[in-house]
Amino acid sequence: MATEAKTEKLPEGVPGNIKELFTENPRWCVGCGDFSIVMAVKRFMVEEKLSSHGTVNISGIGCSGRAPNYINTYGMHGIHGRAIPLALGMALARPDLNVFVHSGDGDAISIGGGHLIHGINKNFNCVFILYDNELYALTKSQTSPTTRKGHKTATQPLGTYLDPINALQMVLGLNASFVANTADWMPDHLVNTLKAAFEHKGFSYVHVMQRCPHFDPNNWDHKSTTWFSFLEHKNGIPPDKRIADKVETIKHDPSDKEAAFRLANAKRTYFGLFYINPDKARYDEILLNQIKTAEQEPIKNLLDEFKI
Amino acid sequence: MSAEKINISRFELLMDAGFGAQKAGDILIKAFAHTGRHVFIEPMIPAEISPPPRTRPALSGVSIRVANFDLKNIGNDTDIILAAHEVVLNRRLDDEEHNAKAKVLLDMGDKETNQESYELTCKRCAKLGISVYPFEVSEEGKMLVKGLSGKGKNMYYLGILAAIYQVPEETMVKEIRATFAKLPPDVLDKNIQVFHYGHKYATENIHFSIDITPSPAPTNGEQLLIDGNSAMAMGIIDAGFKLYTGYPITPASSIMHTLAKRFHHYGGMVHQAEDEISAIGTAIGAYFGGVPAVTGTSGPGLSLKQEFIGYATAAEIPIVILDIQRAGPSTGMPTKTEQSDLSAVIWGTHGDHVKVVISVGNVLDCFYAPKLARYFAEKLKLPVFILSDFYMANCYKVINKPPIEGIKKIEEVPDYIFNHFWVNRLPDQIEMVRTEQAAPGTPGHMRRVTGLNTDEKGSINYFSKTDQRAHAVRNEKMHHVSRALREPEMFGTVKEGEILVVGWGSTRGAIAEAVHNCQKEGLSVGGMCFRIVYPLPVILPQILARFKYVVTVESAYGDAMKKPPLATLLRSKTLKDVQCILCRATGRPYAPRFIQGKIKDVLAGHWPPKQ
Repeated sequence: MATEAKTEKLPEGVPGNIKELFTENPRWCVGCGDFSIVMAVKRFMVEEKLSSHGTVNISGIGCSGRAPNYINTYGMHGIHGRAIPLALGMALARPDLNVFVHSGDGDAISIGGGHLIHGINKNFNCVFILYDNELYALTKSQTSPTTRKGHKTATQPLGTYLDPINALQMVLGLNASFVANTADWMPDHLVNTLKAAFEHKGFSYVHVMQRCPHFDPNNWDHKSTTWFSFLEHKNGIPPDKRIADKVETIKHDPSDKEAAFRLANAKRTYFGLFYINPDKARYDEILLNQIKTAEQEPIKNLLDEFKI
Repeated sequence: MSAEKINISRFELLMDAGFGAQKAGDILIKAFAHTGRHVFIEPMIPAEISPPPRTRPALSGVSIRVANFDLKNIGNDTDIILAAHEVVLNRRLDDEEHNAKAKVLLDMGDKETNQESYELTCKRCAKLGISVYPFEVSEEGKMLVKGLSGKGKNMYYLGILAAIYQVPEETMVKEIRATFAKLPPDVLDKNIQVFHYGHKYATENIHFSIDITPSPAPTNGEQLLIDGNSAMAMGIIDAGFKLYTGYPITPASSIMHTLAKRFHHYGGMVHQAEDEISAIGTAIGAYFGGVPAVTGTSGPGLSLKQEFIGYATAAEIPIVILDIQRAGPSTGMPTKTEQSDLSAVIWGTHGDHVKVVISVGNVLDCFYAPKLARYFAEKLKLPVFILSDFYMANCYKVINKPPIEGIKKIEEVPDYIFNHFWVNRLPDQIEMVRTEQAAPGTPGHMRRVTGLNTDEKGSINYFSKTDQRAHAVRNEKMHHVSRALREPEMFGTVKEGEILVVGWGSTRGAIAEAVHNCQKEGLSVGGMCFRIVYPLPVILPQILARFKYVVTVESAYGDAMKKPPLATLLRSKTLKDVQCILCRATGRPYAPRFIQGKIKDVLAGHWPPKQ
């Protein structure tokens, strides 16, 4: 039996372990939350048996933008803010592939904000991971749309002037079909969130609180467990098992949008699945179905309607 | 009515927007084509949907050139103008495109309430030497037009024009029925009746007519009546593209509209993006996935797409971009023609970069260009442009039906496409910056692309030698095209001599006609238009050296202190003292007559020529 287990063959291209997804040592700072996110993506791929060649990681610019370079799949490290248009192209062209989008708070909510609105509305099939470190890091500490008010940055040295955009509330308001919140320092929760997001067909918005030890080391007290709660439901994401017994857990039905809004609006932080709507129309599916259902014309008749 | 037998004539129908001037023009040209005449049509389209009637911006109409030989451009001067009222006539006279002895048929229906304005306009015409033939829609016609909510006047005018141009009534009625097949029968009948009233009026009251004798031998095979943008859309399907992305913008949108109705029947998709940047991004994403994609836009959208154009260059992803130029800068004149995006297309996006720019100079080019664009894009993995413009996009003519290829792979692009664009196939092996070029889904290859500089393996790399190599490899791709370019087509018989007139894109028809006319007069005038306008042939300096003077004709602004884009490019590539003889920004296509005049100025010793 033991020998049989050893020879059990994985389908072509499916990584047997995390190492097989290694490309090179990432050029991120020591302690950066991006390491944990990329590691979680790899763990998820191994556990869910996603093939390397059947997966495309797509990103914009910033620290998060480098992620595709560090995962041994196909990848597009795009331009600033524009990962979503590239990913839509991939989803339309290659519905057979698994599409993951990696984008930062500046990338997705500032320069690429317009695309986030329409990616959510089009609800095309992808897992969208927001690396939210609440500032611009690769360009050396400028205020981002999610920087907390008062936090000193290179561009607003007296302290960030405005209240941050509440990203969870924003995407709920845009009618996102899948909204989850997690953090880089809870690897199990992160992997389980990715699993739920991947399982959902549509634009799965995964918000990850991501530490930036270099420019904002004191942002979140990730050693403490008092300032957040897990959302729990049979259709939701299980609490992170390493800290589950120390953290408050509240029941939340992820089909209840009003409750999701209240939680997103609360001062307290909640991790888990805020909202899911499996019935939202998908733009990619509609366009692809249009071809499937349309009567295919022989190309030789192409110009017939212009005949005189 | 005594008919004047001539070979060629140009006329215009001028109305307020929304009253069907172009529809009437369409019907008339189909009838012309069916009776063996050649036509070239240029619609006049206002930039707004419904500008207030009886105002200058409301001018909507059509210029039609009809002849008993093949026509390559909209030509010189209008012989006959039919104007719905004095305001649109006045507006159009400003363009100074009428024959000195032009005849104007002016509908006096609005005169009662606009006495003074009509009188001033008639005085203006008299001063210009133009004869005005006043008329009014007959009482019976007016009654029917009233019943059609004021919309049937175009049929009355159509009747007049059909009578003047000697097109049989039954041919016209057939075309009206075909064009308005979807109208309720009673409405259709009323329209036809108004047409008959107009025809009757002209037969009884207008004492001149024009007979363009049909060409003796009708062309073999099937014929199409098609405009530039429709031909481009059909060419995109035939070239095997499977995704068109765009954002609404005049004058490119009609390509998206045409495809939206049909593309899914040929396995393709149309994606209307949330903005111009997203449109090109989605096309690049699809092409990286191995699916041929094209994005279309006009000037303002071109500006927005620039960053992604550089990305495609660096990441080595094929992409085809259509730029249907309008008059710029900024929003400029959306429904007027200009060729001034050339510099932005060639030099646009930051950093050193490479691209191939194909231009279109007639409807057939529009149908063929997407095949060649796809070939270059996939072969070289860089951005390829197809440059059209408002004039090219909207003018239409009757052509012989071209062959349909249904290209699946670029290897299937046939020889005649390369011949058509005066270029050879590229070498089989083209070196890329990165050795890995597999499409996603291919096991074991894992191509990852980035806009950052990389080494051959695709790993991000900021080392001096790697960067220099990447630039050299990218530029070499473009140099392959330079070397593959043949000597461009030279118009007529003059291959060396006094003066060479050079152009590109939509000015080709007018330049060719002007050069032919000069050659007929025995002048030593050569003409050449680039179909691939960037890069330029390696042999270009030798070609220009065969002529004493080299001049350009460009629909782009230039003056004594500023050369327009093509002249600048040719000077930089050849060090020849290339001057521009026509570089006006008027939004209007050039008349061959203008070009001839400027050529003769140079031959008379005016060098450098005055702009």
